[in-house]
Amino acid sequence: MENQKIINLDLINLAYAYGLILLAIALARLQRIGQEGEMLWASVRMVIQLFAVGYLLHLVFAVRSPLAVIAILLVMSGFSLQVMGSRIKRKMPDFYRVMGTSLFIGCGGVTFLLCGLVIGYSPWYDPRYLIPLAGMIIGNSMNGASLAAERLSAEIYERREEIETALCLGATARQASETAVRLAFRAALMPTMNTMAAMGIVSLPGMMTGQILSGTEPIVAVRYQIAIMCAITGAVAITSFLILLQGYQRYFNNAHQLKDEN
Amino acid sequence: MDKKLVTLRLERICVERPGRDGRKADILSDISFSAHCGEVTAIVGPSGGGKSSLLRLINRLSDPACGTVYLDGEDIALLDPLLLRRRVAMVPQKPFMFEGTVLTNLQRPFLYRHEPLPGAESAELLHSLELARLDQELIGRDSRTLSLGEQQRVSLARALITKPGVLLLDEPTSALDRPTGDQLAATIHDICRSQRLAIIIVTHDLRLAGRIADYLLFLEAGRIVEEGLPESILSRPQSPELRRFLSDPVKGEL
Repeated sequence: MENQKIINLDLINLAYAYGLILLAIALARLQRIGQEGEMLWASVRMVIQLFAVGYLLHLVFAVRSPLAVIAILLVMSGFSLQVMGSRIKRKMPDFYRVMGTSLFIGCGGVTFLLCGLVIGYSPWYDPRYLIPLAGMIIGNSMNGASLAAERLSAEIYERREEIETALCLGATARQASETAVRLAFRAALMPTMNTMAAMGIVSLPGMMTGQILSGTEPIVAVRYQIAIMCAITGAVAITSFLILLQGYQRYFNNAHQLKDEN
Repeated sequence: MDKKLVTLRLERICVERPGRDGRKADILSDISFSAHCGEVTAIVGPSGGGKSSLLRLINRLSDPACGTVYLDGEDIALLDPLLLRRRVAMVPQKPFMFEGTVLTNLQRPFLYRHEPLPGAESAELLHSLELARLDQELIGRDSRTLSLGEQQRVSLARALITKPGVLLLDEPTSALDRPTGDQLAATIHDICRSQRLAIIIVTHDLRLAGRIADYLLFLEAGRIVEEGLPESILSRPQSPELRRFLSDPVKGEL
């Protein structure tokens, strides 16, 4: 197979593609949506961010040092924590500690399994594998984690009566918040489940199409896609589970009392 | 006073809430009283006077900022809250029905304790239904289809099924119409006498308090303003606060 035969895009090619954004802006102007400025700014940001990340990755690929790869992964995780922190309005107590440890264990453990056992490349820090795979795992776990945290606090807030009734009847904090935790866990897993069910029929996943574009045999690309989907599901489940396990306790004190303000 | 009769004693209780400007505001201050088994103690006062907060301290849904609650001489802060809540049952203002039948609702306390669940024909279940005057036919019904009065009785039966020594009732009749409320009040009174329970009832309904209370405390703005036997207190109020409350039937009845 003549594998590495991908066509490079030069800036002229990209300019043609960018023309489509200008077309979109023109249409927005025609319809008087009044958001042409924002569209332009978003597209410029996209281009700058991607070029920046491209050069950064280029650098990391060239250096091939485990420290550089780990630094990139840490920045990614930190950024995802920050995104979650700004997106979730009603935060549980110790929000960053709970979310941080859960993401770290869930994503770290699953990435380790996927890279070490399932794919088994070496060296372990090879950025060509570790960065995109960990990136996908972190990104999906972040979504699951924020759904879990958000739903948990909403459920506990809305089920205050139910929880206190259960406490009155002798329930422990864990028993009293069981329904809230269960619903939050289900909400966290829902998008991943839907993606899995629709995969291949409704949409061709991005990683698979990317691999096919760059010359990988579709059969091989499919296997990678299956492996990453399993990893994502596992990471989302472990991360959300850990968040809920630590999270529900934050709403109670040692005397099995539901704390006042949440 | 016979010491054996004292089941519950609250001493110099205060509860604080963080105020808007960071300073602490008192919800309750310097509350002391006793409740005895076989008696109904009613805590009466306008809404927002801290009555519910007071009730929540007794089964430790929350803790006071100062003061002590004694149950049979023991400081409840030193007891395991889960064990305490077996001895001190509470019926919240709005009856909450868990998804499922009346039977599964009544089994909840046993579920939480990992004890074998009593069946529909078991003695303890039938006894609690009888105490709450609930029709046995209702046991298989979806609890959320019951009327509010029936739900309130299920809530009562569920609190009684594990044989507590103290029963806390938060505005038990406030959501009910007058005949249904009167019937429930009679039920509560009978339970108190037959089971030798110490019942503490929080209400803004003077009629209810007058009917079933053996002892009455009038609470306003977080303080006990007047206390005594309901006959004497209600017919000869001493304080301007209680007189105002008595003369304003809208407040009294809501």
